Amino acid sequence: MNILKKIDLKQKLLLTKSFVKEYLLVKKSIVAFGVSIVLSLLIIQISVPKFYISAVLREAKPLENQGISIGSGADGLFSEFLRPTGGDGDYEEMISNMRSYIVAQRLWNKGWGSIVFGNGQLDKEYFNQIPKNHKFLDKLGAWILGYQLHEYYSAHDLKAYINNSVFPQKDIRDTNITVSMLSSDKEFAIKFIEAVILETDSYAKEYLIAKSNEIISASYEQLAVSKNSAISSALASTINSEYFKIATLNNDMPYKVYFIDPPHSSEYPVTPNIYAILISAIIISLFLSSLHSFILKNKDEIW
Amino acid sequence: MVNEYFQFLDYGGTTYYYLFEFANFSFIGLLALYTYKIRLINLNSLIVWLAIFFTPLIFNYLLFSPYLFGDQFLYSGETFLLKTGNQSQYQMNHIEFAGKILGSIPLPNYMTVTSLAFSNKLLLFLTFLWFKRYFDDENKILLFFLVPSLLLYSSLALREILIIVFSILFLVNLIKDRYLLALIFLYPIFIIKMQMFAFLSLYFVARTIFRAHKSIKHAAFFILSTLAATFILESEILSFVNTYRLGFAAENFRVDGGGTSYAAWNLYGQDIAQAIKIDTIQEAIIKSIINLPQIILIPMPWNWSSIFHVFQTMESIFLVYLFYYISMKNKNYKNNEFILLSIILLLSLMLLGLIMANEGTFVRYRFSLFYPFLLAALYIHKNKTVVSKF
Repeated sequence: MNILKKIDLKQKLLLTKSFVKEYLLVKKSIVAFGVSIVLSLLIIQISVPKFYISAVLREAKPLENQGISIGSGADGLFSEFLRPTGGDGDYEEMISNMRSYIVAQRLWNKGWGSIVFGNGQLDKEYFNQIPKNHKFLDKLGAWILGYQLHEYYSAHDLKAYINNSVFPQKDIRDTNITVSMLSSDKEFAIKFIEAVILETDSYAKEYLIAKSNEIISASYEQLAVSKNSAISSALASTINSEYFKIATLNNDMPYKVYFIDPPHSSEYPVTPNIYAILISAIIISLFLSSLHSFILKNKDEIW
Repeated sequence: MVNEYFQFLDYGGTTYYYLFEFANFSFIGLLALYTYKIRLINLNSLIVWLAIFFTPLIFNYLLFSPYLFGDQFLYSGETFLLKTGNQSQYQMNHIEFAGKILGSIPLPNYMTVTSLAFSNKLLLFLTFLWFKRYFDDENKILLFFLVPSLLLYSSLALREILIIVFSILFLVNLIKDRYLLALIFLYPIFIIKMQMFAFLSLYFVARTIFRAHKSIKHAAFFILSTLAATFILESEILSFVNTYRLGFAAENFRVDGGGTSYAAWNLYGQDIAQAIKIDTIQEAIIKSIINLPQIILIPMPWNWSSIFHVFQTMESIFLVYLFYYISMKNKNYKNNEFILLSIILLLSLMLLGLIMANEGTFVRYRFSLFYPFLLAALYIHKNKTVVSKF
């Protein structure tokens, strides 16, 4: 009872009523409320809805060390190549490849540059000559400083597009990788994200095949001149293991990653958030109108 | 309203960002207007608090990148995850707990990294409403809430304000002999910040067991007992201190090749780990005394890399002066309660100095330790005028 007396609940209730009457339930607030609804609808109307497109991947288990023994000497010599992969190394390698110029160039050659920057024609002559529209200030800068701007889009632009719009993410202690992007065109984004992932994986695989071929070729050269039987044996084992590696890589199976969830889009756009915009606008309008009423009523005290 | 896709969608710097965050500002601004109307605050407080509430819109994205205080994304991400009914992402108690408390503040939008800053502002405002009840002059208390570091940390999505608020609540209730309430406020600190819990627990023990606030003799007995305990529990205490010393050193570790933090430490840090470890209590005491001026005044001039650091040093000096001023006023330095508070603050600063590594991080830690003690000193000055007994 003492606390209630101290707080003076009755008086506070009366003051609350007067606050609502003086600041909230006034014509100004109602007008501001109306204006906020109109403004927020306008914002929603001019906003471009963007969908969340994502794919969940899992790191594929390494193919190395399967089914072939290479002997202790070679095991030591080539343990670096044969060491099982895993952990964050694969994920980091995947990100590096995904963001590389080589993957962008491979996608460009498949016509993705045309889809992203042009009208989607897969004619090589067309997509190598998609004109680039530079901003006025960029043109002015180039003119003043006397340098040339690129006339056409290239794989470098596609690389920049991938880096700015496709986001791989792997949480701490998580085994799955989520690759996501936001786009207003669901169908394009689903296909694009899939193409980027598959091309990244394919590049990693082809790189290893090329590396194995080089090791085989170099090992053959050494084998031809080697006079030490132990070294010859180790080299022969290496050649065998590299051939085995090529055999396991030379297929359509995923190498570094495989899809847990294939690319798919959110059912509704994640931005703009209509309710958040409406509520925000209403609260802002109520506050501004109340503040205005308050300033008008207390201007003598304030100044 | 929660952004369910927070971890993927960054509204940073866009029109939406300012719309959502201005709505949060408007909401707590309306609350401030209401508190003025029901006569909980005066006009000065209203104007000042409206300005304080506006600061989150100035810091993140406008004055600096939110990545400058990257932990903001940790707390924001966790809060939004929990608010959407998901499991904790980090499975770390202090992040989850901070996320739960900050997320329970009824704001209209939890959409961007800055939203939690408004939770912090509201918590701070409520603390101000509670704390000013003990003083006649509201304006003077208001000045204590205008400390630049307080404005900065309350404008970010960090746990610092939670630590400060719970520490103030603990200290004032403890000084008021409300031990159970003090214990209740100590519990969140145990989860959010272990070091702070250790410092405040020391105060709790000093007051409840040693009654060190009653006389100088009691206080001296407490200090001697603490010293004896540190020698008896030497290995346990050193293991605790060394863990923190190594942890912070690893976090702050950099190598020439560009490697930083724990990753670089794993590769190259083991060589210096032994040098960082403290082997005896005597060594710990000497090191903590040597580091004391530095922890009080950081960032030191040789660590200044921007104009903000100069201001931070000036603020450190000002806060120390303020504490000194309060101690001199009404001869508070003779007040047993004030003496005990100062002893605990000194011991805490010494301990903090002992584990100090990263300047930027420890400026924050030092502030969240010093500021609650400063307000507690102010409370003692105003409400406890017990003269020293020998």
